Amino acid sequence: MPYDESPAGRAVALERGDGVAELVFAPRGPGSGLVHLYQSDPCRVLFPRAEAGDPPTAVLLTTSGGLAGGDRLRVSVAARAGAAATVTSQAAEKIYRSSGADCRIGVTLDAATGAWLEWLPQETILFEGARLSRRTEIAAAPGARLLACEMVVFGRIARGERFTGGFLRDGWAVRRAGALVWADALRLDGDIGMLTARPATLGGAQALASVVYVADDAARHLDTARDLLAGARMRAAATVVNGILVARFHGGDAAAVRRDLMHYLGGLRQAAGGLPAHLPRMWRQ
Amino acid sequence: MAITGTTMTTEAALYRLMTWLSPAYPLGAFSYSHGLEYAVEAEIVIDGHGLADWTAAVIEYGAGRIDGVLLAAAWRASANDDAAAFDAAATLAAAWRGSAETALENAAQGAAFLAITLAAWPAPSLVALAARHNGRLALPVAVGAAAAAHEVPLPAALAAYLQSFAANLVSAGLRLIPLGQTDGQRAIAALEPAVARAATAALAANLDDLGTACPVVDWCSMRHETQYTRLFRS
Repeated sequence: MPYDESPAGRAVALERGDGVAELVFAPRGPGSGLVHLYQSDPCRVLFPRAEAGDPPTAVLLTTSGGLAGGDRLRVSVAARAGAAATVTSQAAEKIYRSSGADCRIGVTLDAATGAWLEWLPQETILFEGARLSRRTEIAAAPGARLLACEMVVFGRIARGERFTGGFLRDGWAVRRAGALVWADALRLDGDIGMLTARPATLGGAQALASVVYVADDAARHLDTARDLLAGARMRAAATVVNGILVARFHGGDAAAVRRDLMHYLGGLRQAAGGLPAHLPRMWRQ
Repeated sequence: MAITGTTMTTEAALYRLMTWLSPAYPLGAFSYSHGLEYAVEAEIVIDGHGLADWTAAVIEYGAGRIDGVLLAAAWRASANDDAAAFDAAATLAAAWRGSAETALENAAQGAAFLAITLAAWPAPSLVALAARHNGRLALPVAVGAAAAAHEVPLPAALAAYLQSFAANLVSAGLRLIPLGQTDGQRAIAALEPAVARAATAALAANLDDLGTACPVVDWCSMRHETQYTRLFRS
């Protein structure tokens, strides 16, 4: 039997992944530190030295090199009262073509009073035929500040591949003091090529990103957000819904969407968090 | 004694739905464009064909899809006297909005619908639900609750709600593009299959796998917040 050397073929031959990464940060000395870590394959967490002015930084990677249908990842990050932390990923996450089952990713972010938590993973690339269901659940206490992004790219653009069939459900739920204040999901199913082309749906977008900033003072940063988006090359806009600052990015040039996103995230973490106006170095390599 | 199990006649159900979902029912629907005002400004929608395509997408893949599922959930919860399920639908409806202005559109029309319906078409279960939510329900949840309280069948309520949403967008488009009345009616005729598909899909879907596929509509709605000249509140 010929050996299938494609990534999807290799993944199919393996047992389905069920990875977990749990991180808890708490105040330590003058700054913050990791007080709990649990990781199981294919999740791995690295802790490079943070750049000057940045909080402790955790970098996630998946040792499998990508995820296939049936794989499951559960990531949870908590920042206890007064702690600060940044979590990013080492590289873009690849979601391979699925023969039927969904790849499921669950992300839980929890920021306690006085905490600053950033969830800034790099983009997720959906191979043609990929099936991904991802839920990002945020809980932010009064007095907490939480900045989170997600970006998806539709196909391996450099190879001329497009994402015309498969499944994507990318959902968000934000709770404050236990109450649901914002819910949203992008859901692409069926004839995704049609959805990509139509003016009201994706309008030709090959990449899409969302950023939420959850904090007591989130609405106060709307003007800053709009200023940061003023020079965007792709479609970008911000709004405040139920006190959550939401920004969206999409367009036909995935690299330009990524640049717009980086500019916004850098500016917002500077304005709202007093941090350097750049993203962790993995984003800039 | 509670009246249960009666089936409202088709004529009576039609009478209520045509009243509640008519542009004359005073919700201020004429003042909302759901981002279309910016889409016209940005020349994404430039003619009658584009208006019908845009509206069909909103109904099938945008807020119409979400509203349909929420309406159905609220109707079923009301009909079954399931307070917890109703509250879950009401909470999700209040949280599920793509932009500040679409949130206003849904919340303000919902509150108006509830106030007017309680005054003109009171029913015990609607009074109780309105009281528990302080008179604040998103529009599809309020319509679902009213339809269940009056034993209006769910499929008919869904079709009427989505037709009214579509017709309101077309009406906004006529003023913005601008187009003639006949073009508007052609667009509404062309939208019948999309409205029917969205109503059918809403009956089968559930709250857990809800989602939209209209990032461009959300973007237009956000951009509308800072649009210089505006006729509409959304």
